[in-house]
Amino acid sequence: LYRNTTLGNSLQESLDELIQSQQITPQLALQVLLQFDKAINSALAQRVRNRVNFRGSLNTYRFCDNVWTFVLNDVEFREVTELIKVDKVKIVACDGK
Amino acid sequence: MNSLYSRQPEPPFKTCLERPRLHRVLRRREGEVPDGATVMAYVNPVPKLYKSVIEDVIEGVRDLFAEEGIEEQVLKDLKQLWEAKVLQSKATEDFFRNSIHSPLFTLQLPHSLHQTLQSSTASLVIPAGRTLPNFTTTELGASNSSANFAFPGYPIHVPAGVTLQTASGHLYKVNVPIMVTQTSGRANVLQHPVQQVFQQFGQPSIIHTGIPRLTPCSLQATTEKSQRMETMLQQPTILYPGTVDRKHLENATSDILIPPGNEHKITCEALLSSPKSSQFISLPSVAFPPQVSQLECNMEPVLGVPAGMTQNLHGGPLSMDPQGALHQHMSDVQLHVLKHRMFGCDSMKQPRNTEEPSGLPDSEKDSNSHMDLSVQVTDDDINEIIQIDGAGDTSSNDEIGSTRDIDENEFLGTIDAGSLKVLEEEADSISNEDSTVNSSDNEDPQIDVVEEDPLNSGDDVSEQDVPDLFDTDNVIVCQYDKIHRSKNKWKFYLKDGVMCFGGRDYVFAKAIGDAE
Repeated sequence: LYRNTTLGNSLQESLDELIQSQQITPQLALQVLLQFDKAINSALAQRVRNRVNFRGSLNTYRFCDNVWTFVLNDVEFREVTELIKVDKVKIVACDGK
Repeated sequence: MNSLYSRQPEPPFKTCLERPRLHRVLRRREGEVPDGATVMAYVNPVPKLYKSVIEDVIEGVRDLFAEEGIEEQVLKDLKQLWEAKVLQSKATEDFFRNSIHSPLFTLQLPHSLHQTLQSSTASLVIPAGRTLPNFTTTELGASNSSANFAFPGYPIHVPAGVTLQTASGHLYKVNVPIMVTQTSGRANVLQHPVQQVFQQFGQPSIIHTGIPRLTPCSLQATTEKSQRMETMLQQPTILYPGTVDRKHLENATSDILIPPGNEHKITCEALLSSPKSSQFISLPSVAFPPQVSQLECNMEPVLGVPAGMTQNLHGGPLSMDPQGALHQHMSDVQLHVLKHRMFGCDSMKQPRNTEEPSGLPDSEKDSNSHMDLSVQVTDDDINEIIQIDGAGDTSSNDEIGSTRDIDENEFLGTIDAGSLKVLEEEADSISNEDSTVNSSDNEDPQIDVVEEDPLNSGDDVSEQDVPDLFDTDNVIVCQYDKIHRSKNKWKFYLKDGVMCFGGRDYVFAKAIGDAE
C-alpha cells in the first residue's frame, strides 16, 4: 500500500538502479520492498501520533477489492499546527482491520 | 564523550530553519538524535520518521543482503540512493541523510591539523537550519590522516581557524577555510582551499570519490567494487586527496559521499596502492567532486560548479608542489566527474595509477586540458540547448540554432500539407545541413524546422508537465476504519496515512473528514 509514497517510490527507484547495475537481483529487491512494507506499516502504527481533520467536496468514489478510492475537491486539511488547502486530492484507503 | 558540542537551550522556533542549530549541528553522533531533529519533530515529524523507517528497512534487509552474498557496500549504496531521493523529493526538507549513520559522514582531518571544536565558531560557520553530519574520524596514523568531510548537501562554512572536535574525541583545527555550499539543492560545491590543507602532505593526493572508509579488508572489497561500478553515479562526490592511511580507515562512512554507484571507488584502488595518506573530503550527493576518481562522468549541470571549483582550487596551491599535485587531482576529479559518469572504473583506474607522484606534473597538465575541454564541451552543449529552447532567439552562434530560430520566427502556422511532406522528406537532410539548406530553400527548411520544433517543444513541454503533474498530485495513502455515507454526506474515518501535497509529505495517525 505504501509503496506509492515518496519514501516507497524512492526506494523502488534506488532498487531499480542497483538492479540495472547488476548489484542486486530483482528477487532481492522484492524482498527489500516486502521489508519496507512491514517497516512502514509498523512505523506508521507506532511512531505517528497526530490527528488531522479535513473537509471538502466529494468528486468521485470507488470501492473495489476492499479498497476505497476517493477524489475530493477543494479540501481543507486541518491539523493542530497548520492548515493545508488543496484543490484536488486523491485518497486511497485500504481496510484497516 | 557523548556531547561533543555544547548545547544550548532551544528557543521555541516554529521551523527548523528558524532554529539556530549551529550549536548542535556538530553534535550528531551515530544513532543519536540531534536536538535539531527533536525540534523538527515538533514541527514536522516526517523527516525523522522517514529516517527511522529507512534505518529499519536497511537493517532488516541487511541479513537478506548477506544471504545473497551481496557486499555491504551495495547496501550502503542503496541507503544513500534512497536517502538522496527522499531528500530531493522536497518531502522532507530537513531530512538529514547524514544523521543515520556515522559511517556515512566521516570527518577525517589531517593528523597534523589540530582541530578543536568550538561551538561558537561552528555556529558562526554553519548556517542555521542545517545540521552537520556526524563527524567520525578515522584513526590517525602517525603520518597519515585522512580528512574526509562528508556533507549531505548542506551549506557548511568552516572558516580557517575553526576547531572541530570529532565524535571520536579528536580535536581538529581547521587551518583552511572550507566552504561547502549547496547549489542546485543536491550538488554541493566544495570550495575549499584545499591546498593549504594539503600542504602537509607531500605526496600527491589521491582522487578518492566516495570511497568509503573501510577496514583493510573492506578496502579491498571496495576496490573490487569500484571495478564493478560503472554507472550509478548520480552525484559525484568531492574528494580532496589528502593523507589517507587505509589502515586507519575505519568507517565506511564515506559511503555517503558515494552516490548511488560509488563509481568513484576507483580511488580505493589508488588508496590501496598509494602509500601516502590522502585527505579526502567527500560530499555526499555532491555534484562537484573537486577530485574525482577518473570517472568519466558527464554532468552538464554540475559542470558549472566544478569548473568554478577548479578555478578555486587552482588559485591556491599552484604555487605549492604538493598542493599542486593535490590540485591536479582535484581538477582531474572534476574533469572526470564532469565527464561520463557511467564509465567503468577500469579505465579510470589505469589513469589513476599514473597519477602517482612521479607522474603528477604531466598529468596535471593533461587534467587541466581535459578539464578545459570538458568544460568547453559542456558549455557548448549548454549553449546549444539554450539556443534550441529559446524561441525567437536570433543568435547565430550555432548554425542549427540559428536555423531553428529563424524558422520559429517566420513560421506562424503556415504549414502546408504538401510542404510538410516535402519537409518530412527533407527532414533528415535539413537536420544535418546548416545554412546551405536554409539558403537554398527557405520555405522547406523552415517548415521542416517548424515541424521539428513543435516536436521538440512538445517533448519539452511533456517532460515538464509530467513531472509537475506527478509532483503536485496530492495523494493520501492510508487505511480506513470506517466510511460512512448518509445520502450525499460522507464521513471518513481514516488512520495511519501518508499525505503528499505539492511534493511535501505529511503523516497522520487518524484523520476524520466530511464531504458532500
